Amino acid sequence: MSGEATGGLGVLVLLLLLALRVPVAFAMFLVGFVGIWLLNGWNAAMGLLASETFTLASSPELVVVPLFILMGNVAGSTGMSRQLYDAAYAIIGQIRGGLAAATVIGCGGFAALSGSSVASALTMGKVSLVEMERFNYDPRLSTGVVAAGGTLGILIPPSTGFVIYAILTEQSIGRLFLAGVIPGLLLLALFVLLIWGLCWLRPAYGPPGPRTSLARKARAVVGAAPIVAVILLTIGGIYGGFFSPVEAAAVGAGLVILYGILARTLTLAALREAGRDSVVTTATVMLILIAAHLINPFLALSHIPSAVGDALAALNLGRLGTLAVILAVYMVLGCFLEGFAMLVLTLPIFFPVVLELGIDPIWFGVLVVLTLEMGLISPPVGLNVFIVKSVAPQVPLGQIFRGVLPFWLTMLVALAILVAFPQLSLFLPNTMIN
Amino acid sequence: MHRARRIADRLIGLSAAIGVIGIFVEVAVILVDVIGRAFGSPLFGSQDIITMTMVIVVFGGMALCDRMGGHIGVDLAERHLPWVVNRAIDVAAAVLGAVIFVFIAWAVWESSKLSQMLNLSTNLLRMPKAWFQWALAGLALLTAAGLLLRAAEMLLLGRDVRVEREPPR
Repeated sequence: MSGEATGGLGVLVLLLLLALRVPVAFAMFLVGFVGIWLLNGWNAAMGLLASETFTLASSPELVVVPLFILMGNVAGSTGMSRQLYDAAYAIIGQIRGGLAAATVIGCGGFAALSGSSVASALTMGKVSLVEMERFNYDPRLSTGVVAAGGTLGILIPPSTGFVIYAILTEQSIGRLFLAGVIPGLLLLALFVLLIWGLCWLRPAYGPPGPRTSLARKARAVVGAAPIVAVILLTIGGIYGGFFSPVEAAAVGAGLVILYGILARTLTLAALREAGRDSVVTTATVMLILIAAHLINPFLALSHIPSAVGDALAALNLGRLGTLAVILAVYMVLGCFLEGFAMLVLTLPIFFPVVLELGIDPIWFGVLVVLTLEMGLISPPVGLNVFIVKSVAPQVPLGQIFRGVLPFWLTMLVALAILVAFPQLSLFLPNTMIN
Repeated sequence: MHRARRIADRLIGLSAAIGVIGIFVEVAVILVDVIGRAFGSPLFGSQDIITMTMVIVVFGGMALCDRMGGHIGVDLAERHLPWVVNRAIDVAAAVLGAVIFVFIAWAVWESSKLSQMLNLSTNLLRMPKAWFQWALAGLALLTAAGLLLRAAEMLLLGRDVRVEREPPR
């Protein structure tokens, strides 16, 4: 059997296993290991399994993963996310749609701490949905805003999505984090504009919240100061060249633990629980990464990426046309595959094509991560939608998906803007990191 | 079977606890290193401690990850398949996972022999690489045992520990 045929068969078996609900990591391990065994022999497969497993598990760059996860988990336990929301609520809650806008801003702020979309949706959902229900917000808007706001976690740094992309494509984590800042803020601003637009068109969607006194506003802003300080110290530390991303993650985790202890909002049990959640999430992510490092060489040996590249080149669509096709494939896959698994499965195939076309890998990273975000709220497997459903079980799933639709379309607009203006993604990394 | 589950849960809890300690050790070591560097004396060998502890963090949580159903899967077909088929897939996936972790343990164990022969160690603190390869192999074997036990429970008792609320302590 030729390399291409073996590769094609491997991809088919992989898809079959995924459809049968075999965990993504196990399916990738099986196909990658057996594929290398068939193409390069038993010793090559065993050698790669041993070396990749230990190398990745002891990779200094990947230490950032458990530490940022820990930071987000501890921040959730200490109630720091609630303080961010409270500050935004106090400032803009009294205007029409203000609570929904405060939720999006809170999601953006929490995303800058946790790096996780799911954590952002879950944490902000618990905090904000009750408030929006109390002030008679339309459930479509309130649930849609939490699900969509949560997706900011994967774009606004630190982002686990960017770390994984960086590891898989050998790009700089710092440059990718910087590249996500303006697109993340752009998306946040577009979400806020959308909320105000929707509430202007249909005032019943988001009635004004209660007026707050100046003193309460000031108290809320002071209350959010620690979380803002942690964000500025960690992210600013990376951009200022004081810390590496790994050090920033440890400093951030250390600071939120210290804050929790000083503010007496963090118990030993909660800290242990945050640690346990962090090692479990780390294990999930790392096993898929290790499996990806088995399947990538298999795909390369079978020449599948070059075959896909040739097929795309034969379409003669040009640079932007090919990019549009790749992003469209990501959007379709996002409807069926979990975002992180999709990244790991598809990058080995698409990334060589992207490099061949001369597309900037950092820019491409931002575009891919944004399409992954869209997958998080796309039916039928939009993970954030299910997270919101778990927090608001009384709202039918169909209604949440309808509420999410305007946000999905807004993300499509953001994607188009980012494709049209690559400088929005590349300005910061090109000017701040030479 | 129930006794085996109790023992397995204790071992899984212990393995996760080691991972949790590892993650806090990493935070502490990096903080000491960063603060020390600000005063002109970074922690000697911090990189060695961080990278080797990472092995424990990653594989320490692996058994608990499976016990709590933490592995990502695509469950589009689940609703359309009969219960028996879904259960058969769950059992087969758990056995496949166990085989994968046995292979990981075996491959890393074999690699540790090479590390010992070549006297491979970390750059600064000279910690033998084989120690951490043994730890990885041991934790991978524990994960494999957990997966096998889960498969046996699903097959013989119709019990799936992943959906039980209380994780092992």
